[in-house]
Amino acid sequence: MDSDEEDYVFFGKPIEREEEITNRRKKAAAEASGNLRSLPPWKQEVRDEEGRRRFHGAFTGGFSAGYFNTVGTKEGWAPQSFTSSRKNRAEVKQQSIFNFLDEDEKTELESQNLGTSSQFDTFGFTAAEYARKQANKEQKQRPSAIPGPVPDELILPASESIGVKLLLKMGWRRGRAIKDLHASSLYDARREARKAFLAFASEDTKASHPTDFEPVEGEPENFLAQPADDDAQSSQSLPVFVINPKQDLHGLGYDPFKHAPEFREKKRSRLSNDKQHGYRKAISIKDSLFGSKSGKAASGFGIGALEEFDAEDEDIYAAGYDFEETVIEEDEEPSRLSVESKKKAVRKDQGVLRGFKVATVSDYQLERFDPPIIPKDFVPHHKFPGPLETLKKLDVPSPPEVPPPDDNNLKLLIEGVATLVARCGKLFEDLSRKKNQSNPLFSFLSGGNGHDYYDRKLWEEHQKRGDQAKLSLDGKLSPSVQKMTAENRGKLLGEKPLERSSRETTSSSVASGDFVQLQFNLSDTFKKPESFNELPEVAKPFKDDPAKQERFEQFLKEKYEGGLRSMGSSAASNMSEAARAHERLDFEAAAEAIEKGKRGKESLISEQPFDFLATGMQFTSGVQEQVKDTHAENLMTKKMYPRREEFQWRPLPVLCKRFDLIDPFMGKPPPAPRMRSKIDSLLFMPDYVKGAKLEEDLVTNRDVPVAQTDAQKTIEDVAGKEIEVAAENVERPVDLYKAIFSDDSDEDVEDINTKKVEDQEKKIEVATTTLNRLIAGDFLESLGKELGLEVPPDMPYSTNNVSTPTQKETPNGENAILSPLEGRTFCAPKSVSGTSLNPGQETAQDGELAKNESIPGRSVRYSSKYPDGLSENISGKVNMEKIAQEDKKGKSSSRHQRNWSSSSSSEDERSRKQSRRHRYRSSDSYSDSASDHHDRYRSRSKGRRKKSSREKSSSSRKHSKHHKHRNRDSPSRSHQVSEREHSEARKEKRIRRD
Amino acid sequence: MSVKELPRKEANVLNGHEGAVLAARFNSDGNYCLSCGKDRTIRLWNPHRGIHIKTYKAHGREVRDVHVTPDNSKLCSCGGDRQIFFWDVSTGRVIRKFRGHDGEVNAVKFNEYASVVVSAGYDRSLRAWDCRSHSTEPIQIIDSFLDTVMSVCLTKTEIIGGSVDGTVRTFDIRIGREISDDLGQPVNCISMSNDGNCILASCLDSTLRLLDRSTGELLQEYKGHTCKSYKMDCCLTNNDAHVIGGSEDGSIFFWDLVDASVVSKFRAHSSVVTSVSYHPKDNCMITSSVDGTVRVWKQ
Repeated sequence: MDSDEEDYVFFGKPIEREEEITNRRKKAAAEASGNLRSLPPWKQEVRDEEGRRRFHGAFTGGFSAGYFNTVGTKEGWAPQSFTSSRKNRAEVKQQSIFNFLDEDEKTELESQNLGTSSQFDTFGFTAAEYARKQANKEQKQRPSAIPGPVPDELILPASESIGVKLLLKMGWRRGRAIKDLHASSLYDARREARKAFLAFASEDTKASHPTDFEPVEGEPENFLAQPADDDAQSSQSLPVFVINPKQDLHGLGYDPFKHAPEFREKKRSRLSNDKQHGYRKAISIKDSLFGSKSGKAASGFGIGALEEFDAEDEDIYAAGYDFEETVIEEDEEPSRLSVESKKKAVRKDQGVLRGFKVATVSDYQLERFDPPIIPKDFVPHHKFPGPLETLKKLDVPSPPEVPPPDDNNLKLLIEGVATLVARCGKLFEDLSRKKNQSNPLFSFLSGGNGHDYYDRKLWEEHQKRGDQAKLSLDGKLSPSVQKMTAENRGKLLGEKPLERSSRETTSSSVASGDFVQLQFNLSDTFKKPESFNELPEVAKPFKDDPAKQERFEQFLKEKYEGGLRSMGSSAASNMSEAARAHERLDFEAAAEAIEKGKRGKESLISEQPFDFLATGMQFTSGVQEQVKDTHAENLMTKKMYPRREEFQWRPLPVLCKRFDLIDPFMGKPPPAPRMRSKIDSLLFMPDYVKGAKLEEDLVTNRDVPVAQTDAQKTIEDVAGKEIEVAAENVERPVDLYKAIFSDDSDEDVEDINTKKVEDQEKKIEVATTTLNRLIAGDFLESLGKELGLEVPPDMPYSTNNVSTPTQKETPNGENAILSPLEGRTFCAPKSVSGTSLNPGQETAQDGELAKNESIPGRSVRYSSKYPDGLSENISGKVNMEKIAQEDKKGKSSSRHQRNWSSSSSSEDERSRKQSRRHRYRSSDSYSDSASDHHDRYRSRSKGRRKKSSREKSSSSRKHSKHHKHRNRDSPSRSHQVSEREHSEARKEKRIRRD
Repeated sequence: MSVKELPRKEANVLNGHEGAVLAARFNSDGNYCLSCGKDRTIRLWNPHRGIHIKTYKAHGREVRDVHVTPDNSKLCSCGGDRQIFFWDVSTGRVIRKFRGHDGEVNAVKFNEYASVVVSAGYDRSLRAWDCRSHSTEPIQIIDSFLDTVMSVCLTKTEIIGGSVDGTVRTFDIRIGREISDDLGQPVNCISMSNDGNCILASCLDSTLRLLDRSTGELLQEYKGHTCKSYKMDCCLTNNDAHVIGGSEDGSIFFWDLVDASVVSKFRAHSSVVTSVSYHPKDNCMITSSVDGTVRVWKQ
């Protein structure tokens, strides 16, 4: 730039000169102070703090209020600029009256709310509440031996209301009436008289008293209460509420006698009869029904002296003679005091309505139930299950362990379905069962082949999910959470592993005298019974030597069951000390490998990154020890890293615009600030636990050779097994959906078979990544999508099913030719119909193929992954463009894709197929990128959109295909082959026709 | 590609910088290259003929990174003066300066349309600057990094930054997600594979790590060189078959992408190799070094 000035870097804010700013203000201040005193009020000018004159007088402009004499807002009266509500519909504001109110109006409005100040809170509710809260708080703070609230602390006196305080000051005592003493003294006198009279009166007189029935209940209680606090009772200012214990079986607050108080009296009398054992009274019901009103005393009967009518004292004589004749049957039976007889009598005599008889056999019987017996192992502590409803099924007893079906496809399918069902619930199972009724592959759902295994798997999945649920707090957590074992944790924390194994190696080589110590060590090792449960599935590393295998199993048993090792097993008869030691080493290593493999198979991240290392290790078994050492310290870090986390991030609209993208957050409110606490990392911890699993898997592969330096073959066995294990246990819902919901007779039968193993791994990888991205909600959503959008009708299935066996039966010429090729067959159709391919690429693939075959194991994946994935991407793109053009021509293409049997064989279809094959190969390595491409294309051009989405679906369908037809040995394999041949035959036909 | 095809023969030495050269970059078609260094200049070269074409001077401190638009019309550069300079290539004038970083700016990149410059700074932030409007305020500040951001990469939809906090963070504009891949080691430099599916991250534990972008898994580690205290670039060959990295002893390492073996290694400079850049099409590479030279390598 021209000016040198711009090259300087400025730090901080430049200091402005003070005079400039404060000049005017100073002036204003000076004027204000000077003028105000000297000038009369009407000559004074109102100026703001800046010294400007804001008030001009009514005729000279009024207030210069707000912004430049407008209203008090910046916009003034100007209408707001029009904003289209098309894009920001969500932001349409709800108007309320508060939007139009000034501040003072608002405060006025708000101040309308009335509240009781605690000072004038007569009933002391607030204070009581407060006190209770306080008590609660204290309760929490103080450690208490007794759990739960202590009643003394909770029942607190409410603070006195002001009225009570005043009264107290004036000499009032609690419990006394607020009335003149004279009255109460009169009352007292009368009361004394009553008492005296009572002393005379015998019990039967009292009982025979005609009006006795009225206060039956109140009476004894009152009498009982009197001596306790006489003065309080005497004045009766406050009614003493006698809390009657609830003795009936009605609901709270329910009054059965609400509209029939007569019955209440009846009841009461009966009860009182029960109480007073000596005699019974029978009151005719007529009395109570039609007689005097219950609350009222019969006035004529000299109540005054005997009765204690608290409130009614005054109007004893005012009640008038509405007393009707009452017949009181009274029979005394003092001799019969036994409860039974009394009961019977009561039942007989009482409670009989006129016109009714007492039933001889009453079906009312008080039933008594014993309290439930608490089991001995009951722990009075409630464990909350996880949020998933599937967890409820956890307590279902485990179905017996069943060996997986021989058919590997079926096994995978079963496991996949089990995983899904465990995740989505029973509903999914029903759905898929219904959907696949006709499909023999899914017969295990309805009790067919492999049902036991399915049950077992389902249960395991539930179990697993239960464990997960404990760990994961939100649905976003990756599904492969699993329990941390102590070893695991120790490794993560960087602890040294127990010295057990190393010790054993030395001890076995040193002397048998060390056995004591060894046993001690062993007893210290962890018990791991649960892992032993599942061992039989995997643990056959010494297949070739049954005796050794047996010893190994014995070893495992002891190892995992803990406790002391029996001498017999380790001193396996005729083996030399050295041989035994060697074997022990083998066993240790193999056991570790197996266990790790088992743990590893649960991990979702495919273990590919380390495969090349592992495989590399496998075949150079001489140097493991050393390599192990070098890797030992790296293991720690590797286990943790790389660790992936995902956050919400909001790009600003401008950025999106500049990147020519649509703002993903368009019209949404700003996101909440991101969580940045330690909890964050804790929550996401399982992610790297997964990583750890991965790592261990790697170690496994490395360790296996240690165990069997002599038998390279078995190593491969184990390795192969582990690959399988790793593959089979991976959850891959997307494919499964496809497998279940999409029709089986897709056209992609001509899929490449050679790369089977790698392909499936990659697909698993892809599936797992997709899975990882799906949080719970999205998952369901995608399920819906799958159901709604991408599920083609399943009608072609049956037809194909019928047709394939025939194909299989009749081996035509092509079949014969193709079958020896087997793996390579995918090349053949290409060369037949390959028009858009350049030959060089093909040869490259062939070369790569040869490479694949030459190198066993998974290291292949890498050799194939990068270079040709890249080059093919390009060709794939070229093809896609071609197709895009062709698509415009053929409109019926979508139908073609679905239905193989459609006879129309247009040019574009074939080439599309081919390109699909292409794309498939190019997308194996980076199928994510492929989908990216799709997206991009979709957004770019409309014409391509159709095609790309279709291709996406087709490619994913292909994935599912591969999972199903994976194993060469499986019966369905032949089905697949025949299908492929079928398609090829058709292709041939087409070419001939062409 | 065989080892023989790797660019191992020195074709030209571009002398001119006084002091360390901190970065050397090919332009998008590979016909020219830019270098910048401690002498506060940016230099434009024709590496194939070894000619110095132009010098851009305006920076007040060392220039740490430079990038050129795909149409070769504009440059952006950044450095120790905490500013991003937006240059016109032909006239050599500064069109705009973007101030806002609170510390040195380590890396800078244009997006696909050259409408946005994204810079990575010592102030733990990535900032996006608008080249179209006249505003000099950042249009986006990404400050989720915990430490210095050393390097930045852009795709059509994503911004990827590598930081000393050990993370490679991918900010997907299209879906509004931040994906953080924690490598556990300070990340010095990141570079994308040419197919866009992997990220090569140079870590300060003398290891290059290859990450799968979609899954975040570690695909491979490349070791053998020394990289402990300098910001040193790494890159992949244009066919993604090999990984190239410099070393602090002045060597250049070629690793096989797949099996991580050191395919080739030779001493290229007398001092730390600060930057390597691979020709987009040919087997050609330029390296820059603290020794003040930029060297052009061909097969």
